[in-house]
Amino acid sequence: MISKDELAYLAKISKIDLSEDEAEKFPKQLERTIEYIDILEELSSDDPIVLDLQEIKLDELRDDVIKMSGGRRINKNLTEDGFLKGPKMK
Amino acid sequence: MSLVMIGLEIHAQITALKSKLFCSCHGNYRDLKPNTNICETCCGLPGTLPIINRKAIEYSTMISIALGCKIPNKIMFYRKNYFYPDLPKNFQITQYNVYGFSSIGAEGIFELDDSKKIRITRIQLEEDPGRIVYLEGGMNVRNSALIDYNRAGVALIEIVTEPDFTNPKEVRLFLNKLSLTLEHLGVCDTLLEGSVRCDVNVSIKGGNKVEIKNINSFKEVEKAINYEITRQNSMFNRNIKIDSETRHWDDRKKITYKARSKEEEHDYRYFPEPDIPVIILGDNFVSNLQDHMPELPNQRFDRFVSKYKLSEHTSNILINDKKLADFFESTLKVYFSPVEIANFLITDFKSLIQDDIDSSDYLRNLKVKPEHIAELVKMMEGNKISRITAKDILVKIFDSGKLPSEVANNTNAFKIADEKTLMDAVESVFNTEKSAVEDARTNHEAINFLLGKVMKFTNGRADPKIAMRLINNRLNKSNR
Amino acid sequence: MSNLYDLLAHEVIEGIKEGLFTAEEYVCSVIKRIEDVESKLNSFISLDSEGALSSAKLIDRKFKEKENIGLLGGVTVGIKDNISTKDIRTTCASKILEDYVPSYDATVIQHLKENGAIILGKLNLDEFGMGSTTEYSRFMPTHNPWNLDYVPGGSSGGCGAAVAAGECTISLGSDTGGSIRCPASFCSVVGLKPTYGKVSRYGLISYANSLEQIGPICRSVKDVVMLMNIISGKDMNDNTSMSSSPITINDKSNNLDIAIIKELIDGSDDAVTRTIYSTSEKFKEIGCECNEISIKNLNYALPSYYTLASAEASSNLARYDNIRYGFDLPIDDYKWDNYFSNVRKNFGEEVKRRILIGSYVLSSGYYSKYYLKARRLRSLLRLELLTLFKKYDLLIGPTMPILPFKFGEKIDDPIKMYLVDINTVIANLAGIPAITLPVGFSNGLPIGLQIMAAPFEEQKLIDASYALENTINIQRRPNLI
Repeated sequence: MISKDELAYLAKISKIDLSEDEAEKFPKQLERTIEYIDILEELSSDDPIVLDLQEIKLDELRDDVIKMSGGRRINKNLTEDGFLKGPKMK
Repeated sequence: MSLVMIGLEIHAQITALKSKLFCSCHGNYRDLKPNTNICETCCGLPGTLPIINRKAIEYSTMISIALGCKIPNKIMFYRKNYFYPDLPKNFQITQYNVYGFSSIGAEGIFELDDSKKIRITRIQLEEDPGRIVYLEGGMNVRNSALIDYNRAGVALIEIVTEPDFTNPKEVRLFLNKLSLTLEHLGVCDTLLEGSVRCDVNVSIKGGNKVEIKNINSFKEVEKAINYEITRQNSMFNRNIKIDSETRHWDDRKKITYKARSKEEEHDYRYFPEPDIPVIILGDNFVSNLQDHMPELPNQRFDRFVSKYKLSEHTSNILINDKKLADFFESTLKVYFSPVEIANFLITDFKSLIQDDIDSSDYLRNLKVKPEHIAELVKMMEGNKISRITAKDILVKIFDSGKLPSEVANNTNAFKIADEKTLMDAVESVFNTEKSAVEDARTNHEAINFLLGKVMKFTNGRADPKIAMRLINNRLNKSNR
Repeated sequence: MSNLYDLLAHEVIEGIKEGLFTAEEYVCSVIKRIEDVESKLNSFISLDSEGALSSAKLIDRKFKEKENIGLLGGVTVGIKDNISTKDIRTTCASKILEDYVPSYDATVIQHLKENGAIILGKLNLDEFGMGSTTEYSRFMPTHNPWNLDYVPGGSSGGCGAAVAAGECTISLGSDTGGSIRCPASFCSVVGLKPTYGKVSRYGLISYANSLEQIGPICRSVKDVVMLMNIISGKDMNDNTSMSSSPITINDKSNNLDIAIIKELIDGSDDAVTRTIYSTSEKFKEIGCECNEISIKNLNYALPSYYTLASAEASSNLARYDNIRYGFDLPIDDYKWDNYFSNVRKNFGEEVKRRILIGSYVLSSGYYSKYYLKARRLRSLLRLELLTLFKKYDLLIGPTMPILPFKFGEKIDDPIKMYLVDINTVIANLAGIPAITLPVGFSNGLPIGLQIMAAPFEEQKLIDASYALENTINIQRRPNLI
């Protein structure tokens, strides 16, 4: 069951505003999906959590070397000093 | 005031790393223009992937070993999901101890002193977010945020302890010892601005835990805890319930204040980081590190006592000041006389440098080098100058950096061993201190007084042994 | 000679080498084709005809001066618009990224450029790769060249349509739960999802990073192989990538042991089933054993896929808050969390649904109920398949359980849409390679055969595919004009 409150909570933690239309039809649609994935409950909890995970050896990892390739990565909303202007915090 | 329980959550940057944890930008972001130490990856641009720094794993393992932790065979990373403007991906890549996978260290133990041990819950490797700079005032001021991502992605180590501390002094001792350990390992420079953060949780009399965040230096921690204990006690005494909450430390007003409760309601939705495979550390990894990692403070202490035959007291003073201990061992390379050099360093030398002990330049830019001290001690041991003279010379060369021998020559500082000169001095003193001379015939104390006067007469240069002999001879002569 | 835009990649390369035509002539032909059919298809989000032409002229100049023009010299490539192309707008068919221009090239793009390929433009997709019909693109839907009232499949619908229609010679798509194979099947072209880790994901804008791979959609097996050998390889920018051997085109039939997955046949439309059975007969003709087998945990595969994919998506898409890049929305007086929510309002419905489901299954209280179970199932399924692959070389079945359908038919009910993926998600969950080959039509609508192999056994896939392609005679080009 996805109530309107639950939906509102999910939207809040996902930081997504819903339109009125979406707020109306999402509870049912999401519920359909959750019912669909509920079948997973049939699976045993005893099976090992994860077998066969991809592994990598320590010596395959990146060396501690500095590599700066220059150029601006952020172009939006910069102040004169180079700070990024963000929205208010409070 | 019993039953105080304090636990710590420390974040320390692995400042010894050249690059960030998941990309090749500079690990040291200080003094750089905002948003210049960034790349596609640490900005979280679409399509970029974290590429982990092998050295970060080595250094964090060293810290785990030093804190007595268990090191797993394999490690995994997790995502901690939350939104915040300083977090480029709106999740942090970190570690999590769950479902059989451990972080880089767990279940450690740290000896505070002979009677107390602190349990280390876990140590994990994670990335630092960027910084939000507020235009004026603190976080409470209504201004737009200015964001700088230079720091985003820098490697952090998080150390979490059990609430084993029972008073703020223990916490301070722990933090000092931890800093010392990190300094010895050479992985974190805790004096660098912003390199350490400490969150504390405090509860009294078995009550609710209060978390205090935003303590930005180890020095402020003791103050914050003291304030909080007082606050909680006062509430307890007035029968006010202490809520489990998060508070912030204001280091200007020196108070803790309640943080907005929104911050407490986070469902971080942890799940394994898909872009980083499980990392196999290998069977020999830990033993190799142990063999090659820098000496820990207690190991160095043992070595000073057994190899150099220093007293435990002296060794302790040296060990607790790593740069001084390094200076000491450098001096030994020039002239091997551990006991004398150590004594000289921890007394006369240390009193001159004590004021700078907290600066990151401490001992680094000193004009006086190990060679100078070696020469001074060598001259003392060769009986060429007295201890007092040595101290004088040290003061003189401290700002100039001239060699002691040079100064000694120029100022005629060498010990007077010449008996004729000394005899003149003794005669002079005997003439002026007639009553003391009388006393000296019966009172031994007075002989020392006369010696002191001879030393003064010769500006400290008289060889005390010879002078004493001459004084005694003179006394005996007049006795006859 | 057929139209230049109709040629296969290896034919283009040979043609230029032999001096039969210039790169410029060939590219002009492609551009003209686009002009003729694009208004009907809407495959492209961004198109750079002029850039393509100048690149072609440059190739011709180099060729004249006997310089190396690269393994793909002059060949036009379409790139799915969720793969980063430096200085070329990359939108993921989303309003959130409609103005986003990357400052770097994906690794696969670097490989293409190093080999002289001409990047023609960016191809349409379902927003952020989430969908099976390209109807969820926030700009416009793409149409199936075989019948314009029908969907081209998704999420790499633009790739399927463009390649089938001759708007580009080869293309690169991405596949998270079938997003290469579905459009390739619906558009009657060849599409390969590589083994997980065979191709670098650096530059692929993540939807579900433990499931997805970049892969080729082309008009022939030989073109797929050529493209695969160029884009594959271990990449220092992707810790999940691994090195592997190049694939070759052989002329042997190989006595492969093939098994048909019973459950996938049973769940398919009759027209599809008939064609698949007759195709399996063809395998027997070329000397392969063909048996029917059953897979145990198949009914949990799709629910697991949606659980895991949504979970990862909810996290991968969290970064879109418009602070560092994005579209034009002034910060004004917003408090930061309201700003974020307002920005993210601009996701399409399907993306929003998946993010919400993802947050749901990861939230404490539900994590072990859904997410952990899905991961368990994933491991079990992979183990089961690896065991099967000890006995059989290849597993086959229909790529899609149904024929292509009309626009709007499944868009009202998300579950109906999800069920379309039921055959393809298996390979993503298990990390194994899977290819789709055009094998027939029903009422003018394409049917595809899916072949799967063990991890890094692309060679076996290609051996069987190449042999099959040579024995099957089906119409290869849609009648568009």
